[in-house]
Amino acid sequence: MKVTIKSWTGVATWRWVANDDNCGICRMAFDGCCPDCKLPGDDCPLVWGQCSHCFHIHCIMKWLNSQQVNHQCPMCRQDWKFKE
Amino acid sequence: MAAVAPVVSLHEQHPDDLWNKICIAFPVIANEPLMQEYLEEQVLNVLELICQHQLSTFIEDYVVDKIQHITMQKIVPDFWSKFCKRENEMQGFESFRDAVYSVYNSLISFCPVFERLEKLRNISGIHRVVNGENTLLGTFKVIIRSSLLSQLPLNHPKITEDFYRISFKVFCNSDNYVGDQDDSPEDMVHCSGCEQEIGQCQCQSIILVFHEVNQKLIELDLLERLAGEVITSLIHLRIENHVEESCKGSFDTSHISTLEKWLDNVVMGWLRRIFNGSSENVKSEKKTEEAIKKFKQKLAHFLYETYTRTRIEQLFNIIIEYPDSQPAVEDLRICLQKTDLRPYLTQKLQRALETRLLHPGVNTPDILTAYVAAIRALRQLDSSGVLLETVTQPVRQYLRWRDDTVRCVVSSLTEEGPSELADELVRGEALQLDEGVPSDEDTENWEAWNPDPVDADPSKTSKSRRTSDIISMLVNVYGSKELFVNEYRTLLADRLLSQFSYNTEKEIRYLELLKLRFGESQLHYCEVMLKDVYDSKRINAHLDSDPNFNLDKQQFPATAMILSAQFWPPFKEETLELPSFVKEHLQTYTKAFETLKGNRTLCWKPHLGSVTLEIELKDRKLNLTVSPIHATIIWHFQSKNQWTVEELSQIMHVPSTVLRRKIAFWQSQGLLREISTDTFLLVEENPSRSKCPVPAEMVCEDEESESAMASAHDQREEELQVFWSYIVGMLTNLDSMPLERIHQMLKMFASQGPTAVECSLQELRHFLDRKVREHKLLFSGGFYRLPKP
Repeated sequence: MKVTIKSWTGVATWRWVANDDNCGICRMAFDGCCPDCKLPGDDCPLVWGQCSHCFHIHCIMKWLNSQQVNHQCPMCRQDWKFKE
Repeated sequence: MAAVAPVVSLHEQHPDDLWNKICIAFPVIANEPLMQEYLEEQVLNVLELICQHQLSTFIEDYVVDKIQHITMQKIVPDFWSKFCKRENEMQGFESFRDAVYSVYNSLISFCPVFERLEKLRNISGIHRVVNGENTLLGTFKVIIRSSLLSQLPLNHPKITEDFYRISFKVFCNSDNYVGDQDDSPEDMVHCSGCEQEIGQCQCQSIILVFHEVNQKLIELDLLERLAGEVITSLIHLRIENHVEESCKGSFDTSHISTLEKWLDNVVMGWLRRIFNGSSENVKSEKKTEEAIKKFKQKLAHFLYETYTRTRIEQLFNIIIEYPDSQPAVEDLRICLQKTDLRPYLTQKLQRALETRLLHPGVNTPDILTAYVAAIRALRQLDSSGVLLETVTQPVRQYLRWRDDTVRCVVSSLTEEGPSELADELVRGEALQLDEGVPSDEDTENWEAWNPDPVDADPSKTSKSRRTSDIISMLVNVYGSKELFVNEYRTLLADRLLSQFSYNTEKEIRYLELLKLRFGESQLHYCEVMLKDVYDSKRINAHLDSDPNFNLDKQQFPATAMILSAQFWPPFKEETLELPSFVKEHLQTYTKAFETLKGNRTLCWKPHLGSVTLEIELKDRKLNLTVSPIHATIIWHFQSKNQWTVEELSQIMHVPSTVLRRKIAFWQSQGLLREISTDTFLLVEENPSRSKCPVPAEMVCEDEESESAMASAHDQREEELQVFWSYIVGMLTNLDSMPLERIHQMLKMFASQGPTAVECSLQELRHFLDRKVREHKLLFSGGFYRLPKP
């Protein structure tokens, strides 16, 4: 007997490669989306800071915009710089 | 009494002389028959004489009294004596006839006496009212009537009934005869009217007698009193039969107008014939016309009532056949307004529903179909919706009790092909739920306002009853949208993961329709699910076309369904070790994905998916589409043609129970054979099979269409698991607590926030009891505590 696989359709779930499950700002899952978004993934991506903390991009932008003077990571209070 | 002479002062004549003369004029006094040979002049003289002596009132009273006496003593007993015995209907018929004739004859025989008394009245110029009647004849009729009724024997209706039944039979027969001529009368030996042999048919004579008797009874003013009841009951019987016959099993035509016409023509025809004496005598007095009118009103009401009752008896079938049975429902609606049968309808229909629908032998989809039909039919029947609400109360209660109700509703909502619910969904209206605050009634149309029927539930607004549509009513069976939306989500997930078609247009259409009803926010998750499928298609195409990913160099093409785990219902966790080359391939795919979408990776669900296989055997070639686990099983048989379940289980990391089920599929395909318990052998050649042509490509449905999703029960379990950590914390701090206290604490701490999980006291008790059984809790004296470590 010879079994040939003609095609294979698998099922997978995607997830962000991050050191935490939830966004530290909105407390929602990274794999979900921030409270303002409807669709996860491409439409609500994550960003990493140089301090290695990551957030939903919309969450951290909102946070940074609300800060008057210096922009800090809400988790570790270091200066926030986007990781290149 | 007759011998006593009146004590009046007399001028010329001797009292005896006068008395004799009076006796000659009124021989009744002396119990003698009336002699006609006395000349009218002589009589007139006597009358004048009476008048002169101012005896007229006395004489009149005396004569009437005498006649009354005779009536009581003789005529009436004579009449009733004919009623005592009968051997058959015909004899009853004759007895009744004789009785009426005899009483009529006595009336005739007294007529001259009354004429004379009337003359006496005229001469003396007296006008008086005796027994409520102006004329003496009227007085006499009253006497006869009253004395007849005062001596009423018990069994009198029997004879009367005989008489009228026979007559009616003859009538009906002659009516039918006109109707269907083709029923050749030669075949019949007996006349169906009088049941005599055709040759000696008595129909004509019966009709003749019938008319005569009726005429006499009318003259005596006795028809109504003596025969009214019997006639009514006979006609009722006839109406019942007719209604039953005419609306047997046909719900697609309206019967009201034909029945009304029938009443008008046939039944009223009989009545007119009875009241007017004969059919030829069309001219009728005003009084009889009025009596007939009154009778007709009564009969019309009875007709409606009978018809309504018949329809109510059939209502369950009518509902099932709705909308084909629309005319019948419309009939019933009209009739219900004319009769007072609403409570009867409610009771009957509820019972019918309970006996025919609400038992374990009926499938849930059938109950739902009936419920939908009932909603439609009853809404037509009663636009206020009160009837619907009361009647279907048990149905809702029952549906709530069934586990698969939600699933059935959701699947029939999105079913392909003609489905009432799907049509209803397309009509699209915002979902109305009971929970809404009662809004103000329409003020624009206040003149058309009608109060709710008395059986309405006062706690609900009539508007909510009027407007809620079928889907809302179905959703209201459970009272919450969430259950339905969750069920829909699971169903959608199942469908997407069993078909693996990337064409989601149809699903998107349904989703849009559902959104119209359930609201955007509720179905947000489903939207993401569909978008996942769409995105997967794009990603697959992209990865496939990009040569950098080396996907085209692989042995076989692989595609993936990439899902957003947060938005899909929880998957059933199953393990499966795929063949290494497949794993490698999927790994390559993951790498490609990671490159494409930086910082994201894939977690494969190895047990989900679909695989197209080509299996070359010695004698044939098979093309199959199977699940990964099936593919893996058969792939392992390639290297070694005999495996035990135990071995396979070890190599595939699949429990042996699951494996046995899956192997059964290959057994049914004839590829594997169980040579001894749990040991399977590959069958390369199948002599019996090789002869018959095998279809080149077979898409095999999984024999048991299992859900890829965790069941609602499992999901709930997981939710409750959240509480467990709280409970452990509580009990560690507070040592022991009663159920109520735990529940309250949970409400305070655990049930807050956006993802609040509701948990009833009952549910919590079950949960805790199970923990007790699992020895994770101790329960004594109403208190729960943690076991000592």
